[in-house]
Amino acid sequence: MALSVAISFGLGGLSGCVGRGPQPPAALDSYYRDQQPALSGDGRLLAFVSGRDGTQSILLYNLQRQQFINLPNLNRDDAIAESPSLSYSGRYIVYLASDRGRPEIELYDRITRRTQVLSSGYRGWIRQPKISPDGRYIVFQTGRRGQWDIEILDRGPNVELDRRQ
Amino acid sequence: MNSFRVFGILRLGLCGVLVAALSGCAAYPRLINSPVDPGGRGLNSLAADLSPSISGRYIIFVSEREQRQDIYLYDRQSQRTIALPGLNALDTIAETPSVSSDGRYIVFAGNRQGRSGIFIYDRETRQLRNLTENLNATVRNPTLSANGSTVAFEANLNGQWDILVYNRDGQPLDLPTPVR
Repeated sequence: MALSVAISFGLGGLSGCVGRGPQPPAALDSYYRDQQPALSGDGRLLAFVSGRDGTQSILLYNLQRQQFINLPNLNRDDAIAESPSLSYSGRYIVYLASDRGRPEIELYDRITRRTQVLSSGYRGWIRQPKISPDGRYIVFQTGRRGQWDIEILDRGPNVELDRRQ
Repeated sequence: MNSFRVFGILRLGLCGVLVAALSGCAAYPRLINSPVDPGGRGLNSLAADLSPSISGRYIIFVSEREQRQDIYLYDRQSQRTIALPGLNALDTIAETPSVSSDGRYIVFAGNRQGRSGIFIYDRETRQLRNLTENLNATVRNPTLSANGSTVAFEANLNGQWDILVYNRDGQPLDLPTPVR
């Protein structure tokens, strides 16, 4: 349900420009670098970092419909985003974004189309955040103790879980 | 009089509990304490622990706790690592693991004798398989969907990194390619 709403939003945004009718399939890869793939838990969606069009952006591709899905408000002109990961249905995207020169773990909710910084106030170098399929936990690599360690972040019992699993 | 006082103290106590509970809620998102286990059965060790990925009750990651770069599976329920017989090999560098949420399949990038491969390990059969044996390209950064159906990874095919998507059996998904 959540997914289909988000997809119809995404497709609605695309088809709005071209008119009605199904879209022709879009190629996943480009002639620029396409890196850091992340699959949704159900294996239907693929998020990755692409260097196409001269920018570095996080893109979301539907492997079954072979179409890109719009991510309004995710990619910003003044920040670099990398290392995406997806919850089970792809409702939540967690990634690393440079914010005022500092890497932060951000969460994008495809239902609300909002981003949220999850790591504010965290002291230490952060790498490779990964969200759990239900969307509650995020694990990441930290340099806080002077070596690489693993940290688990809990979004809490009151978050809306990605229940399609 | 006395019972009033007792009630007052009780009420104060209740408030305190409520405040504590509320501020507990307000403290999310918060970190879960994962202390270092010098015995080497925990999530963190005295050596480097990196590239974690979480799926269901499992966290899969790379660790140098045995003076090699190996893959470890941590069970959040029993709070200790689970043995992976036949997965880690002495001559292979293992990187960027991921696990299905039932804990059965583990996918990782392995580098052995100068060749890279995307490997899948089945915990039920204890079999290890190279999914990219016949692919003439450098490969890295694999990921496995939580339902264990799909694997995606980077491959250097045309002088730049592209993303390939396979099913668990190693068959490429039939996806449209960019027009030349």
